[in-house]
Amino acid sequence: MAIDYQPKVVGFLCNWCSYAGADIAGISRITYPPNIRIIRVPCSARVNALFIVKCFQQGADGVLVAGCHPGDCHYSEGNYHARRRFALLRELLDFLGIEKERFWLEWVSASEGKRFSRLVSAFTDELSRMGPRNT
Amino acid sequence: MIQQIKEKAKELLDSGAVSCVIGYERASDGLTARPLFVYEAEDIDRLIFDETCTHNLVKYLLNRKDEPTAIVVKPCDARALNVLLGEKQLRRENVFIIGVTCPGVVKTGWNKKGDELEARCQVCTQHTPPIYDFLVGEPIEEPSPPITFSDVTDLEGKSAAERASFWAEQFERCIRCYACRDVCPGCYCTECQVEQLDPEWVSIRFTPEENLMWHVMRAFHLAGRCIGCNECERVCPVNIPLSLLNRKLEQEVSALFDFQAGLADDARAPLATFKKDEKLGIGEWHE
Repeated sequence: MAIDYQPKVVGFLCNWCSYAGADIAGISRITYPPNIRIIRVPCSARVNALFIVKCFQQGADGVLVAGCHPGDCHYSEGNYHARRRFALLRELLDFLGIEKERFWLEWVSASEGKRFSRLVSAFTDELSRMGPRNT
Repeated sequence: MIQQIKEKAKELLDSGAVSCVIGYERASDGLTARPLFVYEAEDIDRLIFDETCTHNLVKYLLNRKDEPTAIVVKPCDARALNVLLGEKQLRRENVFIIGVTCPGVVKTGWNKKGDELEARCQVCTQHTPPIYDFLVGEPIEEPSPPITFSDVTDLEGKSAAERASFWAEQFERCIRCYACRDVCPGCYCTECQVEQLDPEWVSIRFTPEENLMWHVMRAFHLAGRCIGCNECERVCPVNIPLSLLNRKLEQEVSALFDFQAGLADDARAPLATFKKDEKLGIGEWHE
């Protein structure tokens, strides 16, 4: 593994919480790894399971889906659906040879800029430790 | 047993209660079975039922949604029927279910009849259909072998790289004939996502990556809905072990959501519902 390996991370952030959380991180000048490419989605439940597969297929090293904390969904229950869907997808991906550590679903509220920064750092650290995907 | 089916079929057709009975007949190799559609009473004698009747006929009901139809179902087929009824794809009053108790079916191929039971039948714990209007056959005592997924566990025991290369090897063979989809009673979308051009989810290129997209799509759309009739694997012309994916998901659905598909006709698929306080081992990161 090259020393300067930088994992590519795709982040699907829900418009109402996590995207605003990332925004707060930016406004407050809290740094987070630039490895993450952020895609804004209306809700964590908007993220189709195939988006994740497509990301990995196109060369992502890790995928993060972040949404409102359970109970706080802008659409009342989207994140509960997302939680079920991705808990299952994670196991399927792992079975297909994409380690489950490469796919995270987490909750970041609109005020948690710091948490967002730490979450992305932790995820990127984990991916760096794992190294590139063997495709 | 077959006499009971024939008598019932005759009664239903003669009374006009149904316009068609879907069952099995002897295939032209004289050895195995094939689907039979009985519209006229004179064809009733062609009906058979034995250990070669491996097909899941429930798929055909989707073409006859508005026609009263009788169908011969094994327990696993009956579960597929439950899934379709639960998803409001069929009207209960239009289906007359001739349930058959089933000790298992054997492995068959063209002109070939094995002695060994199909893999799914070897671990089957349901020998009486969960739903029927008329039950044929003697009740079979339910053994309760633990549902074993030894081949799933074997693969899980390997490293991620080994798993990836195992599946790359399998998917490389896929010619995307979509027989697995076309035979599946759970796959009934009029326009399948795989054939959509905008967005183009799966390219028409045959690469292991594109094939992976297709197979995840197929397996995941059936997550919590697959009843394990294993028709997809049976019809696969290049022998991709699709049941591995299906059973992996079945295992996870059972572990995470404590759910088995097709046991009741009013159950909601686990991905269509949720519990607020469940812990699924995801979204639990702490600083």
